[in-house]
Amino acid sequence: MPTYADINGQRASGRTADAQPDRVTMRLLIIEDDRDAADYLVKAFREVGHVADAATDGEDGLAMALDGQYDVLIVDRMLPKRDGLSVIGTLREKGIETPALILSALGQVDDRVKGLRAGGDDYLPKPYSFSELLARVEVLARRRGARAEETVLRVADLALDRLSHQVRRGEDEISLQPREFRLLEYLMQHAGQVVTRTMLLENVWDYHFDPQTNVIDVHISRLRSKIDKGFSQPLLHTVRGAGYMIRDGAR
Amino acid sequence: MTALGKLFRTTTFKLTLVYLTVFALFAAFLLAYFALNTRRLITEQITDTVNAEITGLSDQYRLGGIRRLVLVVDARARRPGSSLYLVTTFTGQSLAGNVTALAPGILDNPGWTETVYRRLDEAEGTEKPEHEALVRVFQLPGGFRLLVGRDLEERERLYDIVLSAGRWSVAIVIVLGLAGGLFVSRRVLRRVDAMTETTKTIMDGDLGGRLPVAGTGDELDRLAQNLNAMLERIEALMQGLKEVSDNIAHDLKTPLTRLRNRAEQALRTAHNEAEYRAALEATIEESDGLIRTFNALLMIARAESGQARDDMNEFDAAEIAHDVGELYEPLAEEKGIALKVEADAPARVKGNRELISQALANLVDNAIKYTAPPAAPVNGAAPEIVVRALNSGDRILLTVADTGPGIPEADRAHVVERFVRLEQSRSQPGSGLGLSLASAVARLHGGELTLEDNHPGLKSVIALPRGGPVQSAG
Repeated sequence: MPTYADINGQRASGRTADAQPDRVTMRLLIIEDDRDAADYLVKAFREVGHVADAATDGEDGLAMALDGQYDVLIVDRMLPKRDGLSVIGTLREKGIETPALILSALGQVDDRVKGLRAGGDDYLPKPYSFSELLARVEVLARRRGARAEETVLRVADLALDRLSHQVRRGEDEISLQPREFRLLEYLMQHAGQVVTRTMLLENVWDYHFDPQTNVIDVHISRLRSKIDKGFSQPLLHTVRGAGYMIRDGAR
Repeated sequence: MTALGKLFRTTTFKLTLVYLTVFALFAAFLLAYFALNTRRLITEQITDTVNAEITGLSDQYRLGGIRRLVLVVDARARRPGSSLYLVTTFTGQSLAGNVTALAPGILDNPGWTETVYRRLDEAEGTEKPEHEALVRVFQLPGGFRLLVGRDLEERERLYDIVLSAGRWSVAIVIVLGLAGGLFVSRRVLRRVDAMTETTKTIMDGDLGGRLPVAGTGDELDRLAQNLNAMLERIEALMQGLKEVSDNIAHDLKTPLTRLRNRAEQALRTAHNEAEYRAALEATIEESDGLIRTFNALLMIARAESGQARDDMNEFDAAEIAHDVGELYEPLAEEKGIALKVEADAPARVKGNRELISQALANLVDNAIKYTAPPAAPVNGAAPEIVVRALNSGDRILLTVADTGPGIPEADRAHVVERFVRLEQSRSQPGSGLGLSLASAVARLHGGELTLEDNHPGLKSVIALPRGGPVQSAG
């Protein structure tokens, strides 16, 4: 099976070699009027083992979303015949809660808020990288029934108690700063899935801007030194060209 | 549209017409009321006089019988004036008086009547029309009848005078009103025409044009002043837009050229897959940098146009200082720089939290970039960055102080401009827009970004008014 690294034209190497996401085949619908971009996405999703259909205008997209059983919809904001927000709004009115990710050339904060308010579940400004899109779509597909309600999150021998705010690895108690705790919590909620730097910045820090330098990498390496150092089995992996993933490597 | 037609269509003229109608009606009503009341008053006076004479004459009759009455009436009838007298027998034969040719049947009805008559001293059958009079017929004992009355000519003349005065004044009101309306409308029209003319030239692309202000301080002047202020703002925005496009042309073309050259070179010289991969990776990296620059530019343009003003809430700037400090602290530590946050007291401010966070993050990012690691200390000081949130009067200050090389005083104003990076910093990564963005965000909030000497190092200060931006008046 191809990996992220292949998509990004890089060879998996070193500690990233075993960092493969727990991938389940998804059915995706891409509603995008730029045929080239849609074709590229369909092809790229197929390469990583998902099934993707494409619609090139809002009406077709709506009809297909109503008919087909899709796990995630990828909807361009500006579409001919019916714009993206209206497609999602109509679906929600009809009680169809398929997670939807909005793609938009308008990247401003208020525009993002508008998109989420209209019923979108995530928002990605253009231009985006495929690895970012893939990571977000996979998180969306598994969001429902995921680990949102569990009070104790576990990956291998790492356990995070969301009520008592305690983190243990095996028998050792690990002490974390509040932000480190939230970072680990988010990673463990999406264990086995790739989480990008932007996703971390948005969900752990609630920042929607680009902090110029890759500050997230330093936070991750700190966290890694606390949870992985001194253990033979690393849990927090770097997925080159995409982001990070927490995963039980022994399985 | 003819000039006159245009004049008649003006609001001023229409208003004049409405006012004119109202005033004319009012004047007419007033004069009519006056005329009718005058007439009623005169009639009352006549009635009183006639009643008094009848009382007097019937007294004479009671004292001296018909003979005395006839004598008195005869004497009174000879006096010049408008009084009318007549005494008749029960058969209607005239005994004394100055009236003849009464309408038939008048004498048979005691009481008040308005009638036509002829005076006795006027020749029968003359061309002169009959007069009108108000008379009272009084039945005397013994079948005699006494008629006393008064000519109404005076009353009618007065009534006519008042009526004609009314007609004239209404006519004058209308004429003057119309003339005044036309005059005012033409004046207003001329000014509005001038404004329209200017607007047309502005619409044709001359953004420097301004509406004429007469200097009278009236509503048209105020309108013109406000429109001029609006034009001023539009011109500034257009200027900003032009600057953005100039900058895009200038500073995005350079990396784009680099991108293209690299791809071209790879096509020409690469021999194996590894070299192609390396070239493609470099291309992606270069385009990511371009996207970053482009986003920063859009942010600045958006902040400068004031669009983000709708998104303002009150929050604690001290919290932002802690959050941003916390975000960058590991990065600073990795470079061997101590990053401290000194923000203990809450510093509440109204603004766009996300933008202010980004501005502060940019300043901290810059400070980390330009502060030398301990291996190469500048001026012997231990590398340190301090982020502070302070209250200062009606403003709050967010400051970032570093111990880096600082910026020469002469260059400080210059570096906050878009895209400017000092020569010595060209080797550092970044879009060069960090300070420009921080400055634009500060200005959006009605504050400012200043750069100071930290002895040694640079101290960047974002000063923000506590209550958010003050909307410019007017």
